[in-house]
Amino acid sequence: MEMDIKRLAKLAKLKFTPEEEEKYAAQMANIVAMVEKLPDLDASGPLIDPDNPMEFRHDEVEKKYSRDELLANAPEVQAGCVVVPKTVAE
Amino acid sequence: MDTKGYEVIIGLEVHCELNTKSKIYCSCRSSFGAEVNSQCCPICMGMPGTLPTLNEKVVDYAVKMGYALNCSINPVSKQDRKNYFYPDLPKAYQISQFDIPLCEHGYLDILVDGKEKRIGITRIHIEEDAGKLIHDESFAGTLVDFNRCGVPLIEIVSEPDLRSSAEAKAYLDTIRETVIYLGISDGKMQEGSIRCDINVSVHKPGEPFGTRVEMKNNNTFSGAVRAIEYEAARQIEVLENGGTISQETRRWDDLKNCNFLLRSKEDAQDYRYFPEPDLATILLDEDHLKELKDSIPELPNKKTVRFMRELGLPEEDARQLVESVEKAAYFEEIVAAGKGQIVPKDAANWVLGGISRVINETGKSIAEIGVSAGDLAELIQMLEKKEISSSAGNTVFEELLKATGKHPKEIVAEKGLAQVSDSGVLQQIVDQVVAANEKSVNDYRGGKTNALGFLVGQCMKASKGKGNPAIMREMLLKILNG
Amino acid sequence: MELYRLTAAELSRMMQKKEVSSVEVTRSVFDRIAKKEPEIEAYITLNEENALKKAAEVDEKRAKGESLSSLAGIPVGIKDNICVKGLPTTCASKMLANFVPPYNATVIEKLNASDCVYTGKLNMDEFAMGSSTETSFFKKTKNPFDTSRVPGGSSGGSAAAVASGEAIVALGSDTGGSIRQPASFCGVVGLKPTYGSVSRFGLVAFASSLDQIGPFGRSVEDVAMLYSAICGKDSYDTTTVRREYPRFEEKLTGQVSGLKIGIPDVYFGQGVSNEVREKVMEAAHRYEQMGATLVPVTLPNTDYALAAYYIIACAEASSNLARFDGVKYGYRTSNYSNLEEMYENTRSEGFGDEVKRRIMLGTYVLSSGYYDAYYKKAKFTQKLMQGMFHEAFQKADVILCPTAPDTAFTFGANSDDQVKMYMNDILTVTVNITGLPAISFPCGFDGKGLPIGCQLIGDKFSEQQLLSTAFAYEKAAGGFDLSRTLD
Repeated sequence: MEMDIKRLAKLAKLKFTPEEEEKYAAQMANIVAMVEKLPDLDASGPLIDPDNPMEFRHDEVEKKYSRDELLANAPEVQAGCVVVPKTVAE
Repeated sequence: MDTKGYEVIIGLEVHCELNTKSKIYCSCRSSFGAEVNSQCCPICMGMPGTLPTLNEKVVDYAVKMGYALNCSINPVSKQDRKNYFYPDLPKAYQISQFDIPLCEHGYLDILVDGKEKRIGITRIHIEEDAGKLIHDESFAGTLVDFNRCGVPLIEIVSEPDLRSSAEAKAYLDTIRETVIYLGISDGKMQEGSIRCDINVSVHKPGEPFGTRVEMKNNNTFSGAVRAIEYEAARQIEVLENGGTISQETRRWDDLKNCNFLLRSKEDAQDYRYFPEPDLATILLDEDHLKELKDSIPELPNKKTVRFMRELGLPEEDARQLVESVEKAAYFEEIVAAGKGQIVPKDAANWVLGGISRVINETGKSIAEIGVSAGDLAELIQMLEKKEISSSAGNTVFEELLKATGKHPKEIVAEKGLAQVSDSGVLQQIVDQVVAANEKSVNDYRGGKTNALGFLVGQCMKASKGKGNPAIMREMLLKILNG
Repeated sequence: MELYRLTAAELSRMMQKKEVSSVEVTRSVFDRIAKKEPEIEAYITLNEENALKKAAEVDEKRAKGESLSSLAGIPVGIKDNICVKGLPTTCASKMLANFVPPYNATVIEKLNASDCVYTGKLNMDEFAMGSSTETSFFKKTKNPFDTSRVPGGSSGGSAAAVASGEAIVALGSDTGGSIRQPASFCGVVGLKPTYGSVSRFGLVAFASSLDQIGPFGRSVEDVAMLYSAICGKDSYDTTTVRREYPRFEEKLTGQVSGLKIGIPDVYFGQGVSNEVREKVMEAAHRYEQMGATLVPVTLPNTDYALAAYYIIACAEASSNLARFDGVKYGYRTSNYSNLEEMYENTRSEGFGDEVKRRIMLGTYVLSSGYYDAYYKKAKFTQKLMQGMFHEAFQKADVILCPTAPDTAFTFGANSDDQVKMYMNDILTVTVNITGLPAISFPCGFDGKGLPIGCQLIGDKFSEQQLLSTAFAYEKAAGGFDLSRTLD
């Protein structure tokens, strides 16, 4: 199975050097060969599990955290906001 | 617009923020305009180890919208992850619904130029909103406010059944009125409560549909109309010049009144949807679904048509009444209180006239204004039967606004506002006026017919406004021409 | 007798009788840590000051006559992927080296309610991805039986700490064997609970549909006590199941008479060492002697299980680990000039090789055009396997097999061959794929003196049966021999 390491890396926001790319390509090929050993079965229906329903949450407001606590782990904070490199507006 | 023989095909994806108290997957307050990052928690900020829990109201509201739009409801459904990186998406995936939405296969009837048109609804699903990016020159980077993360949204996807910007506008207006009627969203455009993505293609009738282009960033309905017209014209021009349309996503810029390429098909994102493993299955039992279905009121599009067809209102009046749940209900109460004795159009005039004026001036609701539908019906009936003059009607209305508890008939009696039609009494007045205004009588007889108006006015004055002007006018003419 | 050598149950009884205090027990454990940690390196973060403070509080409560839980004052080690408010939670990754959560995992809230004392945060494979704890960014934890060997993984720190007396009991997490395999390698007891019986809230997710938190202990009773304290429906985790959960330590009958024990041939087959096979079969025969019957059962092909496991686990991991992007918390590269570079460099520098490999695999199996062939098919394989286990449990009450194909291996033994490394999980992953509970307990040693683990797999929510069955073995064997690692 040929894997487009570059495209996958782009999707996963990872960057590899050409040497790493080569190494990963080889390793991934082995791993993919392993995970291809799936039984031959019909997998056409939807993936849903009606026997496992969930309990919903009631629509009630709860406030437990201050902004300072929530932003304490952020690499860069200004004016009460997390800062990232300039984005083009979408 | 001139479509040069092309047909414009439009499909809309409307995102509507639901007005639940808390967010979709956590208990943070879900409201607009709070201080930055003051309405978040580890869950909506996507902190490691945190898990979502689904707000039951979000499911209920989406199902209500599904019923309102004649959808079939999937009693077993699930949520999925849509994976992509962006700073306003803390988990780097949006929890949405992919292959099994809560509602699908519905329709919505819209009213365009007095005619009803049925627009197919592909699906309605629930998902979470993203945060807000703040671009400000005073900062070197982009600022991220996570308050909006996790605000509940429904996405309503239409079939490509719309054929003009006017139809698209009518569709959007109807969606907006519907969510307001259902009480599931405040429908405030300026706060971004309703936004839409627009798919546009053009083709010559009889030929297959053209390649569609998606347009994002349509934040007002009027902007959406301009965006559609711009994009249709752009595509027609490209085709007319021998070009081809490529499948792409464009961004509408409402200030510059044009759109530009956001990404081409080649850059299309691979969202790697898969079932959200942190949330178990959404299972809706029949009784609960029935309860939700039974809670759906008559919807604005149906009400408008009924007001027109059954109550004989002009389209504009019907629309204006229906725009407000309160006005429409009040109007119907007045008609009911009139027990078939009043003309609905007169009731509409009062609601859209006097009552609306007071609402605008005072900001009060109809309930706060306190004029009962029964009183207004009584007043309308007296006017229709010409028991009082229209100016007396206004006086009665002003009295009703004072909320003294007195009914129109009492007010008319108390203030002596009843219109006099007794010919004996009126003849006496007319004779007196003719006798006292010899000059005007001669003027009329000399050909100055507008002297009649003056004489009628004098009669009204002499009757203290209570004389029936039509009868007195007849009596005057008899004397003058006699 | 040094206090750290005792089990939680023994210490609890002594504390209730006021023969010892929690401060004394906690001190004993920290003295032991001071002595053994340079050699074992089980901890990423130590919590001595808070622990002693908490122990003193518990002693004070006890002195006042307050009624306390059986775990009150017991020093518990916590795997470093479980959030404890105010303590770094690193997942043994550079990515989260400085992350301090402002919230507790639900299991921590529950242990707080039981007045537990936390010794610190335990080493693990980075983001729980590995079977040797070698992928930790910080350190390599040693197997207390032989420090040239790995403790297993990913909860290697938890297993090694409990085995060496650096904690009385510990919490780990099991996504594909990460509790049972290190328990097996380090000669302790480890329980992987039924999916949905323990809240995952606050457990940094590896594979959401497979992850479960579970207990480590030096006795079945300790594991039962800790499990009783952490299980139960949690309104913060919709995948937890509402049902009655007993106090499991009170239900340990030790009776196996009439019990039908399933023996799956295929799990004793290829790749399983002779010594492991023999010792595990000895355990089976011991059960037979105690009145149980051995019955053959057919279980899913191990190749299928391994394939389905790696597809599902990596797919979910690729999505779960996408949030580590340098924006809100954790590592951010200093080398970037735009958003795209910030993302790519942060993630490339912050994650280790094994994590990147799994993210890549997960991205691949979910990507457009491959989803049906891999992810969806794996999910249907999962259903098939659940069906096969369901059938097996019509014939057998529990299923017995080895926990791992072999005993602890040396450092670096599998580092160049990922597939060989992944084969370590071959006997444990089916349990995660099917959501079933399983326990690993020591059933002897190999010729090198390394412990061998026996695995018991039960039907959904059969923890009581599993614990009781393991307890029967422990009683019959006269306890588990950890004299070499506790001395």
